[in-house]
Amino acid sequence: MRPSKISGFVALLAVVAAWELVARAGLVNPLLFPAMSKILASFLALLASGEIPAQIARSMERAAAGYFLAATVCIPLGVAMGLSERVYRALEVVVETLRPVPPPVVIPVAMLFLGIGDGMKIFVIFFSCAWPILLNTIDGVRNIDGLLVDTARTFGLARGRTILKVVLPAAAPQIMTGLRISLSITLILVVISEMIGSTDGIGYFILNAQRRLKVDQMYAGMIALALLGYILNQAFLFVSKRLLRGR
Amino acid sequence: MPLLEVDALCKSYDGSAGAATLAIENISFNVERGEFVALVGPSGCGKTTLLMCIAGLAAPSGGRVAVKSQLVDRPPPDLVLVFQEYNRSLFAWRSVLGNVLFGLEAKGRGGKAADERARRLIGLVGLEGFERHYPWQLSGGMQQRVAIARALAYEPEVLLMDEPFGSVDAMTRLELEDALLAIWKELGTTILLVTHDIEEAIYLSDRVHVLARRPSRVVETVAIPLPRPRHQVTTRAEPSFMELRNRIYRRIADAG
Amino acid sequence: MRADRRFNLAGLGVFAALLLLWELYSRAGGVESYLPPPSAALKALTEPNVARALFGHLAGTLGRFLGGYLLAAALAVAAGVVLGYSRFAYSVSEVIIELLRPMPSVAIIPVAILCLGIGDAMMIAVTIYAAAWPILLNTIDGVRNLDRTLVDTGRTFGLGRVKILWQVALPAAAPYIATGLRVSLPIALILVTTSEMVAGVNGLGFFILDEERSLRPANMYAGIVVVALLGYALNRLFVAVEARALAWKRGLQAKGEA
Ligand SMILES: Nc1ncnc2c1ncn2[C@@H]1O[C@H](COP(=O)(O)OP(=O)(O)O)[C@@H](O)[C@H]1O
Ligand SMILES: [Mg+2]
Repeated sequence: MRPSKISGFVALLAVVAAWELVARAGLVNPLLFPAMSKILASFLALLASGEIPAQIARSMERAAAGYFLAATVCIPLGVAMGLSERVYRALEVVVETLRPVPPPVVIPVAMLFLGIGDGMKIFVIFFSCAWPILLNTIDGVRNIDGLLVDTARTFGLARGRTILKVVLPAAAPQIMTGLRISLSITLILVVISEMIGSTDGIGYFILNAQRRLKVDQMYAGMIALALLGYILNQAFLFVSKRLLRGR
Repeated sequence: MPLLEVDALCKSYDGSAGAATLAIENISFNVERGEFVALVGPSGCGKTTLLMCIAGLAAPSGGRVAVKSQLVDRPPPDLVLVFQEYNRSLFAWRSVLGNVLFGLEAKGRGGKAADERARRLIGLVGLEGFERHYPWQLSGGMQQRVAIARALAYEPEVLLMDEPFGSVDAMTRLELEDALLAIWKELGTTILLVTHDIEEAIYLSDRVHVLARRPSRVVETVAIPLPRPRHQVTTRAEPSFMELRNRIYRRIADAG
Repeated sequence: MRADRRFNLAGLGVFAALLLLWELYSRAGGVESYLPPPSAALKALTEPNVARALFGHLAGTLGRFLGGYLLAAALAVAAGVVLGYSRFAYSVSEVIIELLRPMPSVAIIPVAILCLGIGDAMMIAVTIYAAAWPILLNTIDGVRNLDRTLVDTGRTFGLGRVKILWQVALPAAAPYIATGLRVSLPIALILVTTSEMVAGVNGLGFFILDEERSLRPANMYAGIVVVALLGYALNRLFVAVEARALAWKRGLQAKGEA
């Protein structure tokens, strides 16, 4: 391990220890800052009882549905908009009008249409993830060397196969960038939508713990969420490295 | 008492695999007040490293450097280095004028007088009319001249220059050499200049230190008794100029 | 996205056609509880009492946004410069940063409610927290990528550490800082509207959710139009300010970023 990492862990331990000591000495309101040991115990208990895994599983179902839906719709759409100036200009105004809408305010609209069920959350995640994927795909496709596509055509590749064999791989790094940005947005929006209109999921769990003043459980939920974010990010990096191998 | 003393200086860099590179191995020389001294040597012999140590920007591994009898352990005041990597040393967010003013601002000098001084030096290095341009809008040679003007505007007592004319075309180079000599005379600056151009070293300086590689050290110090003021045509045509040139050239070739 | 200043007739046509379809569909009846015609939303916008209310909510949202975003910028740039410049400070905080960073920032809202209650302080605090991350990380990056020669230039001209930080490191990192600021702009708006929804008593987020719950969908859509306009205006403003502040960089850019 690098020596700088060691000082980082020492600092982390110092913060945790300071938190523990300050909380135990009663220097802060225990309602706001329970002892770190209590939070960790609560985290482990919730983990063991299956409560946290269950809530995370609910959140992940929604997140995955919205995320993959956005990828499925926006990558082909982005390829079309990137390849054809016509398609791009036809959709430009619609895209530019919807894009500046802050995703959370779509939640009430979705609640009107879809109630507070999974459909609402999936739609909101879809809406917020769509933009980075769409815009990066368009950009990635547009930046492809025209020669590459022409070469493929001279080899007699049909349009559909050219897209699959040449355009998508060439634009892949930038599409991946879009997917990566969307991944963190997904997590944010699943939490928001569960806070505003839900009866389960990790976002609901955290807000509800706060409302019931189970503060240790609230922090436990946040730890779970941070771990989830970390794992998802690492998994994404792993997968994208595989996919982009040799580049 | 010499203005600048370099005494048994050595400097090694830590290599990545634990193997240290010995960039300088025992260099000693002095520079007197008001003197113009040139250093010539093959590339990689540690000239840049040497200047970095003198400027207090790199710590020597052994030996000592002193300016005005003061041990150099940080950048000494009244000493400025013109970097070989001139393009990386310009402030991209400052215009030509802003870059030249930087040194004056650092000295706490501002206002109209500083502005006039900066403009005068910009003119002297032949960049009049480019005051409002940004570095990226200039050619390499022009950027190099900005770096020179910036250092001269600062009016340091000691000026270190690391291959300052490397990127300018031959004609401009001659003009800049003469401009530098004029300023040197006017301000009485002490100049230590690194170059790989032997004729340039002779033309400009009072003394030339010839450096050799492995071990890098001063293999010979050549006094340049050519009369001043010097002239690009007549000075260079003098027989003694040729003689000096051949002597230094042979010395470098031998030391290889 | 590439800025194309040509008048886009086809695009406007498609947009208008969609609006027209929507108008016709909802006039056909049976959907007014959730899909009023766009004309109804427009009419709501022009109704004096709705417009007045919206104006008040807009002011609230804008104020919180500005408070949170600008404070986040000031704090994160200052911290980022120090963390990027001082190896010690960076190594001490690196692990803590890496632990906090992956947590979706909205999860801080419940903590903020606990500590600060419900009100502007809470909303501004969560906005600062969320908006600070991209600015902080980009500033650290920018300062760490600082060219050694640039620092040495400052040093040879006799500048001390603090002045080098201020006059060399900060401007050299400006393009990175701008990237951070650009990324965190929509994030700040997300956090403001979300906290208004979760624990607000005014603001556009509150208004939109409240109108939805009160079954006044036309007003809700009117609110969304306003918040979209706000997002658009803030983005344009940012681009304009950035173009001026980084004018020196224009020719350096490999690719135009509109
Ligand atoms: N920062 C550094 N780290 C490691 N080695 C270096 C560094 N700077 C220079 N060197 C090495 O030191 C030697 C002298 O370099 P330098 O002083 O730049 O020579 P010159 O300026 O005469 O061309 C070279 O072998 C070079 O590779
Ligand atoms: Mg060199």
